[in-house]
Amino acid sequence: MLKLNLSIIFYLLRRILLVSACMMLISCATYSQYAHSLRDGLLHGDPDTSLAIAEKKDPEHKEIISSLEKGMLRRMTDDYSGSNKIFEIAKQEIEKLYGISVTENIASLTINDTFRGYEGDRFEQLLLHAFMAMNYIQLERLDDARVEMLQANIKMMEWGDEPDEDAFLRYLEGIIYENLNEEDNALISYRKALIVYKEKGGQHYPRIPDILKKDLLRLLSVNGLNSEFDKTKKELSMVTYKPAEINNQFGELVVILNNGLAPIKSEAALPIFSTEVQQNLRIAFPVYRGVKGVLDKPVIEVAQQQFTMEKVEDIDALARYSLEQKMPGIMARATARAVVKYNTQQSQQDGSFAGLLLTVTNLATERADTRSWTTLPQEIQLQRIRLPVGEHQVEIQMKNSAGKVVDVMSESVIIKSERSSFVIKHWNAPRIGLPILQVVPQTEERK
Amino acid sequence: MTLVTSRVISLFALCISLFLLSGCGQTVTRVDANSVTDLSGNWNDTDSRLVAEEMIQDVLSRAWLTKYNRSHGRAPTVIVGTVRNLSHEHINTQTFIADMERELINSGDVEFVASATDRKEVRGEVQDQDLHASEETRKSLGQEIGADFMMQGSINSIVDAISGEQARFYQIDLTLVELGTNRKVWVGQKKIKKTVEKGGFRL
Repeated sequence: MLKLNLSIIFYLLRRILLVSACMMLISCATYSQYAHSLRDGLLHGDPDTSLAIAEKKDPEHKEIISSLEKGMLRRMTDDYSGSNKIFEIAKQEIEKLYGISVTENIASLTINDTFRGYEGDRFEQLLLHAFMAMNYIQLERLDDARVEMLQANIKMMEWGDEPDEDAFLRYLEGIIYENLNEEDNALISYRKALIVYKEKGGQHYPRIPDILKKDLLRLLSVNGLNSEFDKTKKELSMVTYKPAEINNQFGELVVILNNGLAPIKSEAALPIFSTEVQQNLRIAFPVYRGVKGVLDKPVIEVAQQQFTMEKVEDIDALARYSLEQKMPGIMARATARAVVKYNTQQSQQDGSFAGLLLTVTNLATERADTRSWTTLPQEIQLQRIRLPVGEHQVEIQMKNSAGKVVDVMSESVIIKSERSSFVIKHWNAPRIGLPILQVVPQTEERK
Repeated sequence: MTLVTSRVISLFALCISLFLLSGCGQTVTRVDANSVTDLSGNWNDTDSRLVAEEMIQDVLSRAWLTKYNRSHGRAPTVIVGTVRNLSHEHINTQTFIADMERELINSGDVEFVASATDRKEVRGEVQDQDLHASEETRKSLGQEIGADFMMQGSINSIVDAISGEQARFYQIDLTLVELGTNRKVWVGQKKIKKTVEKGGFRL
């Protein structure tokens, strides 16, 4: 009985495959090939072209991945509210993908993994909230940025025991809380950020940034937790640290730089031996080829002083780590799929046209799922600078590995008393068509 | 397997394939604006309306109003200030404020003045009249009524979640502050609790 059932199922699957293959125009190009053309504009300092390419794809905003790319590119072209609009759509689509899909799983076991809904890796889902928060910050809507942080919190809560905390997200959350006069909440966020950097620093997170150490200590002292302040000072080897006196003649400049671009997956194919059918079967799976790129180093010049920036998020490392974690599942599905495809082929070995078509289809449809959010930066860098109240000219110089300045981004910023003013930038290549050193009064533009 | 069963199975497979490929159609149904529609479990129009109605009913039934009426011999003038959104959702507090304004004005127990942003526009118009309107219809500046009380508040939320399940708790706090003295004459609070369950499977 079981055998009969199985044979019917196989027969059914075969038919589904055949009919689907005939009816669908299966796109043989992988996502990574599209991503390379999408990023071409960015790498030549022309984000508008990249945005134009992205906007053409998926005009109904059904694909999460396209919405994520569009949102990031709109950000890069200074359209913060447009960016949040599309990010919000992506967020809702991700919510819809909750639960195990029956049809997608059948498709991923018979055709390929690209039929699974793309909801983004966990780190990507958290960064979506972070970038939405940055948009809100640049729109001067801090309360809304706070909402994003709370939503990310709920997401982490839902993930359960191992919540995949994101260090940068926690750090940003702390900065937002601090600017809303919620020093107690900010302290908790900084503590959580520190835990992630401490535990995973040097692996898929950067080592504890010095600025975070200072922020944590400062808030411990603000909240009057003196014994913890002393203890943490020793723990972080910051014994000489003294928090700056509270002075309403000073404010703060927060510079966030999204430097470079995240790695792109590519497809690899491998023959593996299946013990089930005693055959070598070809499977396709995604890999990150190539090593991490060397980034140009930013130097901030403001009020006749120079500051370097600290790495707070290493997205390149996060992406590689995330794929590594998912590899066993990808391989298991690929092997199961290869066996299904092999069996369907075997049962149609009668020299008929259908049999031939099936073989060709099976080969052609074995594609790796190379989807990922490719317009994310390679690294996020941050610096907080205490400055006297008033207008300041901020310059970010990008220096290549030889120490030569390749680009300068300028912005005029108004520092308010005991508040943070933000300069958030993306950098991939010098912008074309714009003379270097052009000054755009950003604060005027925002209104 | 007989030819007939094979045909049947083929057809069945074809149907499944078609089903896989077909998009779902969209249907629209009109519903009463007062009906309760809970879709995602997020803060929605029903929450906004219910909270506004209950809060305003409460504020108008308290002692401060009769006291004010007795001592001043007229209805107090109220203005709605900001309602801060401190919850985990992007709540449009404007519709909530509009709901409250409507309830307040329609009660007839209090006078009401336009909010700061609305006032700017109105003043612009009055300034414009100064130049262009005829003398008998012209309104002059400096005739505005100053509000006696301001209503302020916040929407807070606490969410507890494990995979697939959420308990959402909203707390809406409103305070009525006497302008000039900063005396709080009324504090209102409304709580809403919802549980949201997500399905473990989808098509």
